[in-house]
Amino acid sequence: MIEDRELDGWREQWSGVAEPPAEFQCKVKERIKREERRFVLGNLLTVIAFLGMLTFAAFVRHRSTWMGTGWSTGICVLVFVAAGCRVWVLRRLWRPQTQSTRAFVELWHKRVTARIRLLRISVYLSLGWIIFCAVLTAANWATIGQDVRAHPNQWVALLVVCTLMQYPVLWYGAVWLRRRKLAELNEVKKILDEMDEKNVT
Amino acid sequence: MSEHRQALETQFAHILSEYGAAIARLAFSYEAVASVREELVQEIALAIWQALAHFRGDCSERTFVYRIAHNRGLSHVWRRRPPHQPLEEIEESDQPVDPRPQPEEQAARTDQRVRLMSAIQSLPLTHRQMIVLMLEGLSHAEIAEVTGITENNVAVRLTRARKALKDALGARP
Repeated sequence: MIEDRELDGWREQWSGVAEPPAEFQCKVKERIKREERRFVLGNLLTVIAFLGMLTFAAFVRHRSTWMGTGWSTGICVLVFVAAGCRVWVLRRLWRPQTQSTRAFVELWHKRVTARIRLLRISVYLSLGWIIFCAVLTAANWATIGQDVRAHPNQWVALLVVCTLMQYPVLWYGAVWLRRRKLAELNEVKKILDEMDEKNVT
Repeated sequence: MSEHRQALETQFAHILSEYGAAIARLAFSYEAVASVREELVQEIALAIWQALAHFRGDCSERTFVYRIAHNRGLSHVWRRRPPHQPLEEIEESDQPVDPRPQPEEQAARTDQRVRLMSAIQSLPLTHRQMIVLMLEGLSHAEIAEVTGITENNVAVRLTRARKALKDALGARP
């Protein structure tokens, strides 16, 4: 057997690098419990939000206010289309990270690309939602118009709030998220290049 | 508690006691700051727990642990940019304590270790991974399983990674 003193020396130094703290296992168990609670709570909140939206849609459907049938239909369509888009875009990407590094980084690349695509679809969907609401409002102007004339201040306030919500959420949120995802994409591409040894110095 | 869950917990406890030190060392190569490193070690352990239920034994337990640990390390590097903090900047309390008595020898060992770690941290991610797996004593076949490249490729890359490590050590005072 060939002796490799340099490697043996490195291994000796390496083996003394770090030991996990004594209470490591206890801390990990606590962390697992916390994560499991968070997971259950997260799922529960998602289901509650989903059901809440549908209940709200059903509620407004049976009230003869200006929101009426169109609004409830819109909410239902938005909820299902948003959920459907998310499931479709992220399909086949939930594999656990137990695979090789190469496969993991390739999957990571696919995930980031999918999220960027999802972000683009979300922006289009939001714009579509605004147009849908505008068309619906125009179609029901006979009913809504009376309400607007009766309560003009409330409608102006509603319009301002909607605009303020749309602008930061749609514009700044999307721009910030896109920039972040593009940076992540560049990083993943860099790692993939390193793996292909394209740019290793 | 179900039998399945109990079996998983036993296996997990075994993995932590068997590979806890290796995970801590590996985390050292991805993170220099002690408090963040401890967090990373916990994250790796958590990822192993989450993946354990899907572990069907299609690779060795060792390969399974190193795969998850490295993949977590990679994600950590991305989330925590800028990635490299030279170990010279780490406070004294971050250094592992060597219980042996001779202070000069101990100081020299610590110094060598710090140089080695700093050099490893300065390597590109793929070289770093190769070096860490080699130092952990994995065979070429095991490294190939962890990284997802062929054994021949592992040999070539290990040679390059070793050269890069030597250069990095040479560049350090």
